[in-house]
Amino acid sequence: MTYLLEAEQVVKAYGSIQALKEASLQVREGVCFGLLGPNGAGKSTMMKLITGILQPDRGSIRVFGRDNRQQIDAIRSQVGYVPQEITLHDELSAVQNLRFLGQMQGVRGAELQRRLEEGLAQVGLTERAKDRVGTYSGGMKRRVNLLGALLHQPRLVILDEPTVGIDPQSRHLIFEMIRELRGRGTTIIYSTHYMEEVEALCDDVAIIDHGRVIAQDSLRGLLDQHASRTIYVEADGLEQAPAALAGVGEIAAKGRGWLLQSEEPIAIMAQLAARLAEQGKRVQALELQQPSLESVFLKLTGTQLRDG
Amino acid sequence: MIRTIASKEITLLLRDKSIFFWLLGLPIVFIVIFASIFSGAGTPSYTVPYYDADQSEASQQLLATLEGIDGFALESDADRSLEAQLAQIAEGRKTMLLVIPEGYGARLESGQQAELELHRDATQDAAVGPVLGVLEGIAGRYQEEQLRTVLTQVVPADELESLLASPLAIREIREQATQSDPIAQIVPGYTVMFVFYAMISMTTRFLKDRRSGMLSRLQGTTMKPYHYLTGMWIPHIVIVSIQAAVLLVFGRIVYGLELGSLPAIAAIVLALAICVTGLGLLLSMLASSENMAIGLVQVIALGGAILGGLWFPFDMLPAFVQTLGRFTPQYWAQQGMQDVLLRGGGLGDIWANLLILLGCGSLGLALAVAAFGRFARRAVG
Repeated sequence: MTYLLEAEQVVKAYGSIQALKEASLQVREGVCFGLLGPNGAGKSTMMKLITGILQPDRGSIRVFGRDNRQQIDAIRSQVGYVPQEITLHDELSAVQNLRFLGQMQGVRGAELQRRLEEGLAQVGLTERAKDRVGTYSGGMKRRVNLLGALLHQPRLVILDEPTVGIDPQSRHLIFEMIRELRGRGTTIIYSTHYMEEVEALCDDVAIIDHGRVIAQDSLRGLLDQHASRTIYVEADGLEQAPAALAGVGEIAAKGRGWLLQSEEPIAIMAQLAARLAEQGKRVQALELQQPSLESVFLKLTGTQLRDG
Repeated sequence: MIRTIASKEITLLLRDKSIFFWLLGLPIVFIVIFASIFSGAGTPSYTVPYYDADQSEASQQLLATLEGIDGFALESDADRSLEAQLAQIAEGRKTMLLVIPEGYGARLESGQQAELELHRDATQDAAVGPVLGVLEGIAGRYQEEQLRTVLTQVVPADELESLLASPLAIREIREQATQSDPIAQIVPGYTVMFVFYAMISMTTRFLKDRRSGMLSRLQGTTMKPYHYLTGMWIPHIVIVSIQAAVLLVFGRIVYGLELGSLPAIAAIVLALAICVTGLGLLLSMLASSENMAIGLVQVIALGGAILGGLWFPFDMLPAFVQTLGRFTPQYWAQQGMQDVLLRGGGLGDIWANLLILLGCGSLGLALAVAAFGRFARRAVG
């Protein structure tokens, strides 16, 4: 299979701090690729290496089949990078900021004006387009920040935590834009530490931690491979001493019931239903829990606090 | 790409109202203040306090002679005793007191040597020196009159003047000065000093781009370092050129400063702008914060103003300061401007000044290019 982006054994250090340790990534064309990891995992570093802002100490990165050490200009002209920071000039209007960013990406004249107007309409900022960005809310700034990377219609869009600190409406709008981009065949690399965003948007996911890619697959594949198969049971008289659950697998308390992990959940559910009926315990709930990316993430990265 | 960056920078600079204060408002205030203090004083003005204890015809004649000298004015504090006025000198509240002691007139009349007392603050040599020189000159004239009185009795009148004439004559010849006015020191001096403050706004812009992530974002485009540096540099050259031009024109309109050869003055303004902004680029690459930049600019602007002869005529500075001053761009800028403003110089007369200023700017640019990689790496830290 040919990939739009291949990062092989990439190493990057900032002085004595190893940001990436032989990290490898493969991104298919046309997908929304989630790069998921806690703070300080190396997500932003990887994104800056892909765009050529940084150079790896070791390893290689190929984008569109080109080595990004030797053909970086050809790569950059087809990449739109949305940094985590809101990189706009507060003293300028949205139009002025976007015109500047568009021209820096090689778009000019009437074509730039047309794309500006379409983009501002898409993000709902036409009426505020000539106001200083310094007067905007966080969500409005994030929308303009994103738009600035799309004016040259790139093949690959790299978004570094684009929804930090914004309102739900702005976040929804950004999600819609990403879905539309993906629908047009644009490849997207989306970095975040919010599981639900990855679950909502992404086809493929890589989990990065301590500078290493510790898991990479389609979203479904990751869940199938790593998510625990869990049963939730809640019944009268089961709160204090779930003797009735002995021997069916690992158990953990959850709310008023219990979670059971099992490799054969369907069989166990049937066994449990029969056992509880025998014991005269009325079942309030007995259900198979959907595997979650959060459980996969915590399983792979642990639950210790990360202070970046 | 350079034009895109430059256009954006010009827009941002013009929206920064503080620039108008630092680059135009403040220097104009300084020019007005110092011009008010020093202008119209082609010759220095001294007010000499006196105490006439003699009150004779001779003391009155002496005082009248002193009053008749250009730049001298006499002042009497009739309400204070001699002791009280001498105490003021001791306390540092008075610089000097000319005392005509009692018996001055009588001693002159009897042919004895009379004394004048100049009581002075020993720490104020510069203020008292000219007064002492004038008094010694008057003493010389009294001596000549005394000789004339004696010689008239023994020397024929037609031989008397040649006998009394000094074997040494001093003739003052003014060379190449189209105007001689403190304004021609003040206006260019403060213009040169304040253009260096543009380095603060330059550094602020670069650090803001780095801190906000804009530089990192632009590095993800096809932009090259020279695009960025040049695009950020050109607007500041324009702003500084306009600043210098406005201040010189202000001097022309308000104080009648003759600007001389316009091509020459324009060339020195442009060379100065390139010098200042080239050094500003270098400072932007090296300073880690705005506070650091402000501190360094104060040292460069104020130190250069002192050493380069922006506040006082260069020739008045001590020899070792003059030696150091020749290593400052401020010296070459000020001398170049004064060559044009004061001595009617043209382009051919200031080529060395232009070369040195452009050289400073080019050196700053070259070092800034070399330091850009380190500066940019801190953007992606």
